[in-house]
This record gives sequence, structure tokens and C-alpha cells, in this order.
Amino acid sequence: MIALSFFFALYQDLNDQITDRWQNDQSFDIQLLQSVGQLEDHQKVQFIVGSNTADTLLGSVTKKSSGYELAIAVNQAIPTHWQAVASEVAGKNAAGSVMLRATLSSIESRSTSVSLPIVKWVKMKAITNAAIDMAETAVSLAIGLIGVMAFWLGLMQIGYKSGLIEGMNKIVAPLMRRLFPDVPADHPAMSAISLNMAANILGLGNAATPMGIKAMEELQKLNPNKEEATDAMCMFLAINTSSVQLLPPATLIALMGASTNELLIPIIFATLCSSIVAITAGKWFSRKSKKLRVEGVN
Amino acid sequence: MNWTLLILPIIFFIFPVYGLYKKVAVYEEFVEGAKEGFTIAVRIIPYLVTILCAIAMFRASGAMDLITGLLNPIFAPLGITSDITTMALIRPLTGSGSIGVLADLIQTYGEDALIVKMAATMFGSTETTFYVLAVYFGAVNIRKTGWAIKAGLLADLTGAIAAIFICYWLFG
Repeated sequence: MIALSFFFALYQDLNDQITDRWQNDQSFDIQLLQSVGQLEDHQKVQFIVGSNTADTLLGSVTKKSSGYELAIAVNQAIPTHWQAVASEVAGKNAAGSVMLRATLSSIESRSTSVSLPIVKWVKMKAITNAAIDMAETAVSLAIGLIGVMAFWLGLMQIGYKSGLIEGMNKIVAPLMRRLFPDVPADHPAMSAISLNMAANILGLGNAATPMGIKAMEELQKLNPNKEEATDAMCMFLAINTSSVQLLPPATLIALMGASTNELLIPIIFATLCSSIVAITAGKWFSRKSKKLRVEGVN
Repeated sequence: MNWTLLILPIIFFIFPVYGLYKKVAVYEEFVEGAKEGFTIAVRIIPYLVTILCAIAMFRASGAMDLITGLLNPIFAPLGITSDITTMALIRPLTGSGSIGVLADLIQTYGEDALIVKMAATMFGSTETTFYVLAVYFGAVNIRKTGWAIKAGLLADLTGAIAAIFICYWLFG
């Protein structure tokens, strides 16, 4: 996937360069509305692009060692192409407004021209930043799980010791035996799986995760090869990602408000379909992988 | 729908009380179980970083738009717009990404639009398969994932198609 992203990014960046999407070497004619006199430090100017008198743009001219810089205030009025360039390379000035730093060819006459900063390797930069940002996010996600996980695991420990979970487990045992034929019916994995499924069905996302992890740990105890997922694990994951939902997830309610109610039936229907497919596919895949294993042994 | 608010408090109540009734050392057992929370969270970090970074790079590379663009001519005649294709593609990859897509759609079209209902149904009916995979398999250090991805994505695809159909049928 990383390699794919790299090639896609490379392709698009090269494509941008060939089609000159960012018009890197082009200069744009502008008209300053005030002449810039003796330039001390910097001077605010108003200007128009080409002959477009409708939009008066703001900027400020600064003298640099290599010439003059025009910092353009980025807003809706600047040309669309400039906005696109600005979204890639604009920076902020001391006051916090977004500025696009262009080079001004001269200040002698009020008719002059600017060239925008060169934009290159946009996607390459984007994938680099995305990877680094996400690395951070992933860790905070995991750290954020600690609390909820500890809480639920603690509660479940009580449930196990008191026999409460075992009792609940008996109710769903017939169904579970059929879904996970490789797991002994009274194994703790079964109860963890059924609790996870119950939490998923009720839309209790953050309760489901700790129980699911617990279930995986129990399934791992039954796994002869600790690096490779067993059929039961794959089946559990497939059911988990496709789980029937009687109640919509909290995020959806937060986003959609009251109209979530209308979506209840579609969601139940769609999850029912996906669960059926997940289970059927799971059964089929596990039969296939068992066959492979048997042939491998022979 | 208010009774759903009661599920959690009832669980929070029943577990310790039943434990006490069965003479379980409630406090000690709770702490014993909770201890694992930290180790599990730390154990999944490398898996989460790997998978989420790969996905983030994939999205940032613009590959997603390219794929949506390629699929659009196939699906558009069926009335499935590129917004829906984007949602279906992004949902198994990232949770926050798909929330973003849905929020955008709500803002652009309003809650009552058919597109928004379809996208919301998709959001509600499928899971962030790759995240679940990273967390669950990561927690037990499983590296070879067998047929789990295949089955998960197949289920997501079915969910997405079912969401489109039922929304057409009910609201279209």
C-alpha cells in the first residue's frame, strides 16, 4: 500500500509538472494602485490583476536582497489559480493572516508583474506529512484506549469470577457452536466473543473493543501457530466488522441527530445482509483453508 | 430510544453487585483485570501505526480520487454518484475519514437528501475493517491474517450495496 501510494503520488506530481498545472515559471501582470516610493521596511499596497478592476487585492511590498517581495493577502478575491497555489505554499504573517509570498519584478512603474512561488512535489510532501502525522495519531488512539479498556477488562474479570458471564454464555451456546466449530463450547473465548457481539449489536462501540480483544487473547490460547490467524479468529473478525446493529452507533446520532431514527431499518437490513455474507464466506474460506492444510500435511 | 441509555449503567451495577453476592473479591478482581488494559494498548501501537500510516499515505497520494474517477463512469449510470463511491471506498479504511466525508455530505445536501441517507446507512452498517484488524490481531501479535481481510471486505461491499438498494427502495 505504501509502495502504491508512492507511485500514485509520483505519477500525479510528474503529471502536474508535464501539464504545468502550477504554471511555475509564469508571471502575472498586475497594476499597483499606489506607486511605491522610497521603500522603508515594507509598504502596504492595493493592486489589481491584469485588467480585472472588479477585485482590488491587498498586499505588502518588502525589499529583499534578491529583489522585491509582494506578500498577497489570501482571500476569495484572488484568482482561482492563485488560491490553489496558496493552499500549497502559503504561510502566515505575524498577525496570523494567510499570505502568499510572490516575487515582484520591479517597483519603478505601477504596471509590473509578479511570479508566484514554485510549487513542486505536492503529493510527495502530502504523503510524507500524512505518514508522520498519522504515526502520532495512531499512538494517541492506542493510549486513549487504555482507560476504557482497563475499565471493561476489570468489569469482565468480576463477571468471570462470579460466573455471570458463564451463565449468559449458556444461552447463546448453540449458535456459537455452529459459528465456531473449532472452539470448545465451554471455553472462555466463547463468552468473550458473545459479549463482544452483544456490545456490537447494541452499538456500544467502546465496550465492544475490550471484549473483542479479550476474545482474541482467548482464541490465541487455542492457536497452535502463534503468528498466524486461525479460522475461528478470521471468522470472529469477519462477523465483528459486519455485525448486525440494532441500534446505530453514537457517532452517527451525533452527526445526523433525529433523522437517525429513519435509518434504523436500512441499517439493520444492510448489516443483516453483510453478516450473512461474512458468515457464508467465512464458512467457505475455512473449508478451503482446512483442505489446503490437510493436503499440505499429506 | 432513551432506554438505550440505561444499558450501560445497568451493566455497571449488575456486575459488581452479583460479584459481591457470589462472594467475589470485587475490588481486587477489578484491579487485576484492569491491569491488562495498559499492556494491550501498548502492544497494539506498532500494528496501529503501520496500518494507519499506510492508509493515510494512500489517501494523501490522491489515489483515492483517481480510483473514484475510474469507477464513476461505471456506477454513474446506475445513479450512484461519486460521493457514494467515495464513502464506500473510504469506510473500511478510516473511521475519521469517513466521518469527514459524511459530515461534508450533510453540509452540502442536508440531512434529508437521498445521498446523505445512503452514506449514513453505509457508515452505520459497516466497520472500519482495517482498524479493527490492526487492533484485534495486533493485541495478540498475529502477523499473518489468513482470510480475515477478504471476508471483512466482502462483508463491507455487501453492506454498501445493500445500503444503496434499501435506501432507493425506502426513500428513493
